[in-house]
Amino acid sequence: MSDKTVRRRRAVLALLVVLSLLLLTAYFREAPGGRLHSIQRDFLTVVSPIQDGANKALKPVRDLFSWFGNTLHAKSQLAQALKQTEKLRRELVAEQAEKRSYRELLALSHLDQLGVGDYHPVDATVIEKDPNVWYSTVLIDKGEADGVHRNDPVINSEGLVGKVAQAAPDGALVELITDSSMGVSARIGTGQATGIVQPKVGDPNDLLLGYLPSNTQANPGEWVVTSGTITPSYPSLYPPGLLIGQVTSVDEESAYKSVNVHPVANLHNLDIVQVLTTGAGTRASNLSQLAVSLPAGQNAPTGGGEQLASTQVGG
Amino acid sequence: MNGAAPGPLALRLGALAFVVVSFQIGVVSEVPVFGVNAELCALLVAFAGLLCGSMVGAACGFAVGLFIDLALLQTLGLTSLIFTLIGYWCGRLRELRDPQSPLTPLLLGVSASALSLVGYSLMEFMLGVDAPVSFELLREIVLGVLVNAIVALPMWALTRRTLEGALPEDPRRRRRRAYTTGGLSPLSKA
Repeated sequence: MSDKTVRRRRAVLALLVVLSLLLLTAYFREAPGGRLHSIQRDFLTVVSPIQDGANKALKPVRDLFSWFGNTLHAKSQLAQALKQTEKLRRELVAEQAEKRSYRELLALSHLDQLGVGDYHPVDATVIEKDPNVWYSTVLIDKGEADGVHRNDPVINSEGLVGKVAQAAPDGALVELITDSSMGVSARIGTGQATGIVQPKVGDPNDLLLGYLPSNTQANPGEWVVTSGTITPSYPSLYPPGLLIGQVTSVDEESAYKSVNVHPVANLHNLDIVQVLTTGAGTRASNLSQLAVSLPAGQNAPTGGGEQLASTQVGG
Repeated sequence: MNGAAPGPLALRLGALAFVVVSFQIGVVSEVPVFGVNAELCALLVAFAGLLCGSMVGAACGFAVGLFIDLALLQTLGLTSLIFTLIGYWCGRLRELRDPQSPLTPLLLGVSASALSLVGYSLMEFMLGVDAPVSFELLREIVLGVLVNAIVALPMWALTRRTLEGALPEDPRRRRRRAYTTGGLSPLSKA
């Protein structure tokens, strides 16, 4: 091989590596509204219709693969589901009675806590899912044109899925609750103690409800739900009562109690989700705007304003 | 890198890369096997390097990585960097060793997958993601490599079939053929 070819080969490698490092550094340092981020959003706007079409065209193939897995899994779930249905039926009767009492109390004490009624649900289809274990994000086919904005909560029929991290005109990036930048304030069942649900470090598929008072009662199998706004100083982006997951085990080693939570939403098989968009002027909208407008200096490098929004405001 | 018009090769490679990345994002990432997803893009880059050489491998890796980073709103440059190095390394393997064993694609696919997954982990640690080395992470990496080993041979067949006819002529391979037929052998001249 001639010297010229060797030099050219090395030059090409060096050029590409330097270019990658420059992109990486520039992207990492700039704010979420920076030039590279907007190029990404523009690119998404261009490829979104193509990906949407490809997603629909490839759905039968995906369904075929899923069918085999689901059939095997369904049988093992059937007995468990029947048992759970029976238990839930009993609980429902008790819950309905409690709900009536709760409404009466709410009306009496004029608690205008943020509820789901403040949101306008927008149905969206998941068009891309990040294949990488490091990123817990999905792309949906609804964006700013449909009223979707950054920090809007995202749910599906099973429970809380995540929140909108970035919104483009025709699509949006949704950070799942298993993303390392997420944090949602939650409580166990009907208990009063609240903690923060975060992804379990080292296990991207599980969650940890931490910072619970040490005297909190927690048992495996109990449901974990969003707590909503507890104090006006730390308002939550999420309405209260959204199902997050189920307690699998309890850890009492530290001063705070923490429990392991398995997310109830099947985050590996998301197809249709619902974005809880906020109308202008509502309290939910004001919260989202507050989260977006937080000073850039307080933001974490990877999560931008989302992390702070989730743990402090959204928390 | 000699003996082939770069136009058709770039065209075929570009089309193949677009189809594979779309399939990866649209289908493969939605179908977990043993709890993990196959990573066809790393295999494509590795095989492009093995078939076309280091420069094409590196360029293909950079382009595929950039496309993934842009399409998935990931940290720009991260996948490009890892895939560029994988493509280049596989290309150099071809230029220096020219492995002919039928198991080469399988071993190369496994190595490229391992490099890709470990590379991602290292880069993410350096970028500050809060996730220490744990059993779960190691399990994900090992299972990811195993799943990629399963799909490596079909992916190799697809890549080779698509690029066949537009591949560059390798001087080492040409020399070997000439020796085999006796055309350029010094013994035949004696």
